[in-house]
Amino acid sequence: MTAHARRRVRRIATFAAAILLVALPVGAQVDLGTEEQRAAGKVVYDKYCGQCHGDTGDGNGYATPRVKPKPRDFTTGTYKFRTTPNGMLPTDDDLRRVIEIGAPYTSMPGWPNLTSAEIQNVIYYIKSFSPDFENPDRYGEPIEIPRPLESTEESIARGRVVYEEQGCAACHGEVGRGDGPSAPTLVNDKGDPIKVADLTQRWTYRGGATKEDIYRTFSTGLNGTPMPSYADSLEVEDRQHLVNYVYSLGDGDDPNYGTLITAVYSEEPIDLQNGETLDALFEAAPTTRFPLVGQITEPGRNFFPSVTSIEAQAVYNRDEIAFRVRWHDLRADTSGRNSPSLEVPMWDEDNGIGDDAGDDGGDSDDFFGDFGGEEAPAEDDFFGDSGDDFFGDGGDDFFGAADAGPPGAEFSDAVALQFPASLAPEETPELKPYFLYGDSQNPVDLWFVNLTYGVADTFRGRGSESIEPTEADIVEAVTSYDQGEWTVTYKRRRSSRAGVSFAEQQYTPLAFSVWDGFNRERGNKRALSSWFYVYTEPSVQPATAFPIVRAAIIVLVLELLVVFLVRRRARQKAAGEEAASTTLAATEAPAI
Amino acid sequence: MLGLNLPVVIVLAAIGGVLAWRRANTLTWLLYTWVALWAFFKYGFAVPIPQSVVTIYLGITGLALVCFASSSRERLSETVQPIVRLILEPRYRLALAGLLVALPALAAYNVYADLNVPLEAPGFGREVHPPPPTEMTVHDETVDMATAENPYLHYKHDDPELYGEHLENGRRVYYENCFWCHGDGMGGDGMFAHGLNPVPSNFNDVGTLPILQSSFVHWRIAKGAPGLPGAGTPWDSMMPAWEKFLTTEEMWDVNLFIYDFNGYEPRALGQH
Ligand code: HEC
Ligand code: HEC
Ligand code: HEC
Repeated sequence: MTAHARRRVRRIATFAAAILLVALPVGAQVDLGTEEQRAAGKVVYDKYCGQCHGDTGDGNGYATPRVKPKPRDFTTGTYKFRTTPNGMLPTDDDLRRVIEIGAPYTSMPGWPNLTSAEIQNVIYYIKSFSPDFENPDRYGEPIEIPRPLESTEESIARGRVVYEEQGCAACHGEVGRGDGPSAPTLVNDKGDPIKVADLTQRWTYRGGATKEDIYRTFSTGLNGTPMPSYADSLEVEDRQHLVNYVYSLGDGDDPNYGTLITAVYSEEPIDLQNGETLDALFEAAPTTRFPLVGQITEPGRNFFPSVTSIEAQAVYNRDEIAFRVRWHDLRADTSGRNSPSLEVPMWDEDNGIGDDAGDDGGDSDDFFGDFGGEEAPAEDDFFGDSGDDFFGDGGDDFFGAADAGPPGAEFSDAVALQFPASLAPEETPELKPYFLYGDSQNPVDLWFVNLTYGVADTFRGRGSESIEPTEADIVEAVTSYDQGEWTVTYKRRRSSRAGVSFAEQQYTPLAFSVWDGFNRERGNKRALSSWFYVYTEPSVQPATAFPIVRAAIIVLVLELLVVFLVRRRARQKAAGEEAASTTLAATEAPAI
Repeated sequence: MLGLNLPVVIVLAAIGGVLAWRRANTLTWLLYTWVALWAFFKYGFAVPIPQSVVTIYLGITGLALVCFASSSRERLSETVQPIVRLILEPRYRLALAGLLVALPALAAYNVYADLNVPLEAPGFGREVHPPPPTEMTVHDETVDMATAENPYLHYKHDDPELYGEHLENGRRVYYENCFWCHGDGMGGDGMFAHGLNPVPSNFNDVGTLPILQSSFVHWRIAKGAPGLPGAGTPWDSMMPAWEKFLTTEEMWDVNLFIYDFNGYEPRALGQH
């Protein structure tokens, strides 16, 4: 394009924009950018976005079969995170916000490296995928977000009333853990199962975790999801109280992931059957939260684990050690089977929450019959072609069929602690068994609890292919499920004949696995952690005052000594005595 | 850049500049050197150096400074002069008293802080790029690590269209398998990266792909963490052994793609 032509285009564009501006209500404006801007946006899009959102914007990229939630389909004009009323298109600023910071705990990353102009261009390009952006009627005035009210007790209490009255608990659960009675049934407008937000883990909010974000989320709703808009049913002030209540549910802005549990010493006996004394024991023990991710290193991969973190504590007494772990789960699945070594057919890797094969297991086998079902095909062709079809069309049917029976009943929830079978030799303290169920030279011990039975089974792992039950040590466990939270408490003798013993002041490697039966997790399809540590704190705490005072006194004495020596020398010199040259020869005139 | 915490480095340099401008005396310089190095080791790096290592560095530094100060009689007296004046001259009496109180207090605080550092899991070093084996077997084929090269790289010049096809296939493989860990933009910051230790490699980094031969990268892709020697702490890394999931061609294609995406070339054969 010549400069002249370009100028002309620009003039026409400005003119057209001006006309549109006059025709539209204030604030809403159709701004589709220039040809060049969209072309520049396409370059960015093709490099950074198309692999998920699809090269044609239809949400069908390479990654799509293996991520949940699915990448946005830009051809529909349906957007979740908006300042505009329910059903309306987002503003450019809304889109920019998502692109800059991403949607936490989804596969949509933030793109802090893109320049402001690149983001604007890619926004223009994204908008070109849907004709809705040309339709002035789809534009709405952004809502006004008031300054948050002070979080007083009254405000939170009023917010709680609103939370109950508006039925948030039906989906989000009584205390916000995402375990409401409707939670397992929810789907988005494409028929994909959708996970309700866990309001207690603010860092996982996809649309942002500030009070303003929360206000915006339930005021405008999340288009395309069951999360409704409450703009019409709630006064502004009640919404502000509700924000304070939702905020008060959270454990903080940050997960504060740790790397170590400190096991505290107690004189008391550890009695698993006496809930009250047990709780009192753990009251005194610090809690550490550990990140969990999907097991995607070995076959049976879990691309969308439901559980993203686990909290752990430990206490010990003279003879025994106890561990307590807690995590959130939208429902207790306590009727199915599970074990660390259950086989996961390859096709099931791309299958997740609510996509329950359940009773039509036979069906799905037929469906994948051609691919050899249970055997892991070396080529990935399968996912490239059929995978998409399966989710594009089959997915819905599949889910529909599952509605018939209780979904997820096939597999139960489960948890395991993993320890090395022996500590590293002194020469190589860094040596550990392979974090995935150990390896042939360095086995691990698993303390596995299938929550259908609620008792601990022990396994010895020498790699994913070799996991055998053992009975060398007796591990006991008690379990409970309350308001969306599982609590499992384990106990074992500190010394062991076959496995690791927990001596005082010892760092013992430890890793976690969690299986959500509802998400069809079993065997290697699980959420897991890297190796972390448990440290057994000394049973007698060393006094701290003494070393502090000692350090101060030593320094003071040294100081006084220096002052004394210097002064004495000066006196001696003043007395006209011949000074021997010592290290403090400082005051001598330089010899020339 | 270089993993440095630039603001800290700039502030330290600026203080040094001011001292030079004010023509500070030897003692001040020595103190500055020691404190500045302490601050640099402690806060100057994006990834903190372990305290034990910092202590060693500072011990060596202290020793070097003492040697420097006492290297000649003049220098020694020049260094000690301000201290002696502080102790002897009546007009500094208040300052001296202050110092006598402040130093023990500092020592006490240091011990207190040491006793109260939150416990941390023991950390171990790992070799990021350990030497590869001389040969390996991938899908029943023997690969000689010294001579193997990405078989599709030459298409870049010989047959751009075919090159494009391999790249596109590599792109598919990457976004079906790798981005959870290595990230959508390959910054080592995928959605699972926060749960991994060691963290996934950052392919944007100049210290990763460009210094590696394509055969090395092929080895890492095919054999993953389990293929690492002990110095690479294979038990901790989540890097999968992709030969379990991918064909040889797919592995070379994704190898091609991660270089191309970042605008890098593999290190040439025989180059060190
Ligand atoms: C690895 C996959 C992936 C990549 C790469 C990716 N996205 Fe996304 N994106 C997603 C997913 C998944 C969602 C849906 C998140 C949700 O529903 O909570 C999404 C959502 C979005 C949304 C919609 C937010 C809303 O309000 O509904 C926008 C806009 C977006 N992405 C833009 C981009 C842009 C621009 C790029 C490239 C610079 C990009 N994405 C790259 C996965 C990806
Ligand atoms: C019909 C079920 C349903 C009801 C009722 C409901 N929500 Fe939600 N809510 C959802 C779902 C599903 C999501 C997750 C959407 C997503 O991640 O795409 C969600 C997400 C959220 C989020 C987090 C959004 C984010 O950024 O990740 C907040 C905050 C929230 N809801 C608050 C509320 C409040 C407050 C109420 C009551 C006034 C409420 N919800 C009522 C289903 C519901
Ligand atoms: C489960 C997480 C995970 C996945 C998935 C993953 N990687 Fe890795 N990768 C890692 C980690 C962690 C490291 C760094 C530790 C190490 O060197 O083993 C790494 C290291 C590497 C290295 C070595 C780089 C160097 O500097 O030596 C290469 C090459 C690599 N990955 C390629 C890939 C490719 C290609 C894929 C997809 C086919 C992939 N990775 C998938 C976790 C992963």
